[in-house]
Amino acid sequence: MTPPLHNNFFYRLEKSAVITFIGVILLFSCAVVVTLIAPSLVDPSWTLPASSYQVQMYEVVDPNIYISGSQSGGADLQFAYHLKNNESLLSFEETEFSRIVAPPDLEKYITHQGERPLKLTSRLLMLRKPIKGVQTSFNAYEMAEALRQKLQEDWEEKNPQWKEQGLTKFDYAISELYALDAQEGFAVAPPDVILENWISSDFVFVDTKLQDKELPPGVVYISNPKEYRIARFSNGNTLEWKYDPNGEIISSIEALKSHPLGFRSRAELISLGEKVFAAEGCWYCHTDQTRTLVQDVVANGSESYPAPPSSANEYIYQKITFPGTRRIGPDLSRVGVKRPSRDWHKAHFWSPKTASEGSIMPAFQHFFDYDPRGTAHSPTGVPNLSFEAIFQYLMTKGTRITPPTEAWWLGKDPLNTMDIIEGRKEI
Amino acid sequence: MLTFDDTPAKWMIYPAVLFLVLGMSFGVFIAFNGFVFPDYFSGEYIHFGKIRPIHVGHVTLLWLLSANIGLFYYFVPRLCGVPLWSPNVAYVSIALWWPALILGTYSYPWGTNFGWEYAELPVHVGLFPTKLMFTLAFALVAFNLYMTVATRRYEKMYVSLWYTMGTMFWTLFTVLVGFYIINWVPMGISRVNVSFFYVHNLVGLIFTPMGLAQAYYFLPKLANTPIYSHRLSMIGFWSIAFVYAWIGAHHIIHGPVSQWLQTTSIVFSIWLFIPVWTVVTNLFATLKPQWSEYTQSAPIRFIMMGNIFYLLTCIQGPLMALRNVNEITSKTDWVIGHSHISLYGTFTFFAIAGIYQAVPVMVKKPLWSNKLANWHFSLNLFGSIPFMLSLWIGGFWQGMLWSTWADGGTYAAFHNHLTELPFLQTVADMRPFWIWRAIGGAIVLFANMLFAVNIFNTIILPEKDPLQERKLPLSSVGNAKAAL
Repeated sequence: MTPPLHNNFFYRLEKSAVITFIGVILLFSCAVVVTLIAPSLVDPSWTLPASSYQVQMYEVVDPNIYISGSQSGGADLQFAYHLKNNESLLSFEETEFSRIVAPPDLEKYITHQGERPLKLTSRLLMLRKPIKGVQTSFNAYEMAEALRQKLQEDWEEKNPQWKEQGLTKFDYAISELYALDAQEGFAVAPPDVILENWISSDFVFVDTKLQDKELPPGVVYISNPKEYRIARFSNGNTLEWKYDPNGEIISSIEALKSHPLGFRSRAELISLGEKVFAAEGCWYCHTDQTRTLVQDVVANGSESYPAPPSSANEYIYQKITFPGTRRIGPDLSRVGVKRPSRDWHKAHFWSPKTASEGSIMPAFQHFFDYDPRGTAHSPTGVPNLSFEAIFQYLMTKGTRITPPTEAWWLGKDPLNTMDIIEGRKEI
Repeated sequence: MLTFDDTPAKWMIYPAVLFLVLGMSFGVFIAFNGFVFPDYFSGEYIHFGKIRPIHVGHVTLLWLLSANIGLFYYFVPRLCGVPLWSPNVAYVSIALWWPALILGTYSYPWGTNFGWEYAELPVHVGLFPTKLMFTLAFALVAFNLYMTVATRRYEKMYVSLWYTMGTMFWTLFTVLVGFYIINWVPMGISRVNVSFFYVHNLVGLIFTPMGLAQAYYFLPKLANTPIYSHRLSMIGFWSIAFVYAWIGAHHIIHGPVSQWLQTTSIVFSIWLFIPVWTVVTNLFATLKPQWSEYTQSAPIRFIMMGNIFYLLTCIQGPLMALRNVNEITSKTDWVIGHSHISLYGTFTFFAIAGIYQAVPVMVKKPLWSNKLANWHFSLNLFGSIPFMLSLWIGGFWQGMLWSTWADGGTYAAFHNHLTELPFLQTVADMRPFWIWRAIGGAIVLFANMLFAVNIFNTIILPEKDPLQERKLPLSSVGNAKAAL
């Protein structure tokens, strides 16, 4: 090997070259600082949440709402709230046809019909059907029966001609409020819950621990929780289960998550959904951004209202964000509002070409398990974990920007997108 | 006369040629199976979302980046007048490089796609830490090339060496940012911003300087003429260094990022006109005294056509960054057309020209068939016209169709337009363009099969006719003086 003639890396380096070199390094660092580091520090919307509702949905609700698709003999999802003493906010509300009986020390937690403010508590209480023959100092069954009789008599008094008018006699649903002798419990959640109960004014904490705290701008709460119970049965050699209001209670979070119940928290499903979205390459054809363009806010809008353009803070809970570069299929940033139906997504993932004519989307039949016994009575297979994950992930899109009471699809868009696109307001 | 051990270059270039054909086959497959006969071959491992990243992984990393590094192993020693600093380091790098990329790319159908564009490479496949292996392999390439330049015999550094050194640093930085640092910034849009910095710099600070280094080396070499202006080429080099790092955010214009950041990226995108004009002027002026060579040599045609495509892509780029143009072109097939004209039309053409020059020199045999090379060029060019034009015209038209939803003054009017022209109708309207795209793509694939046959026949078959050697400028065994 011939030795080099010079040991100097930059042989005969001119002064101008040195200056250029230093200059370019400075400019490159400058570019990195300005375009990569500065924006998250300068623009608060890059790191701060869109609303208190968004924070509570991701941080309070999602980790504590559990979903299972594995209930034996059914294709429907099971939802259960994981309630924790001193953490979960609960309300016990009476309506015209439902009443609550409670022992004297729990009376204060009930919000009677038409009463305001709404009483919220973090004490672990639940409702149940009063059971006959349980003898305690407080006899719920007798009290409930007495109340029912009184209510029906009142109703008959109000509608003396009810038989002639062909009215049906009201049957009042009366439940008993009781305190759980535990630090945590599981409550039934309504099926396909995408939006949560939200209250931003006219509420009060009936609880010594939370009372002193300043009231937040609004809270997500669970209304009238009933305990989630299941019945187990055997089918041949396999042990199966189903929801049963009179069945056994679920002992722990481990029991809920393990076989055969197989529940997963929505937080887990959303996170998995993000991974499925990445791995299946959904993002090569679907963008996830409503741009600040009229065609975008219109295409993603409802019949009556435009969808607000995406803002940076909608994405702060995503490890990977898919704004996308190509729109082979429609944009997904508002899909939770535009297509909230799980059945629609089932049919569409199973066969997009039949579900929306003219679509070129591939079929995702591997999101479904084969249903050999046909017990699911489903034209598709039984949706599996990938489907539940991607569905929950998609349902976060556009639904969490503002609380459901101030939502854009009700025309309460904080950006006033309508005024901007109709030319009444300058940006 | 110096002799060079070209084994490392061969180990990078030969497989790369194979992956060019494979990658284009995947591309043609999805052009048909995704668009012409949508989802004809259907299923978990074969649908569009699983095959697209394999196509992209092939043509960007397994073909273009690998071929570029192979060509660096070829011409950097020749420009420095010394052998590669350490062939052993190169072998270690090659041993990490191919398994990492092959395993990574072929694992996508099994659900390993990581989810950031062009950074899909999984963290690990089985026991193989593919991301780390790739990074390490590239770091070794960079180290090896820097050491070769540092121990060079020729004092003056030719522009290709500047580009090489620049791109080695930038690539490493960009890869580290896009693969690792992205996970350290806050979740959400901050990561999107970092991702687009990576995405754009992959093209701007990796493939652009690599391609230009080749064009600047191989054009004077092939045409046997000195470069027109070294100073102009240096202006181009430093302006690339200045401009590219700023413009990542132009991928999300009108998107959920701060307006000032969008404006910054637009301003710097316009600056891109400077480096492109220096390159285009310089390459044309270089060939001007030898213009007849254009008709004589397929590789020269590849470089000059690549040069024209480079001009086109760099006119498109800044214009697409303008807010009003972006409103129409963004998110349509125009973008796909744009990415293909740069990575295929420009930098693949440059790399092909480089391989046509380098392989006969490395194997010390003339090219197997010049006729086939001519066919290769002509078919590539004629295939690329329906291929890219259909993407541009179709994309622009789809953008115009979408913009009809913005006609009118009231929401009722806007929404009415949307009901008259639903999204799915605009998809159906693209069908003729997608058919042309697939046909053009198939021609390009066929052309590059000829290329692979030609190259591997050159390598494997014995020399056809020793007399032919004298007629072929290609066969002249290159020496280090080359472009100097």
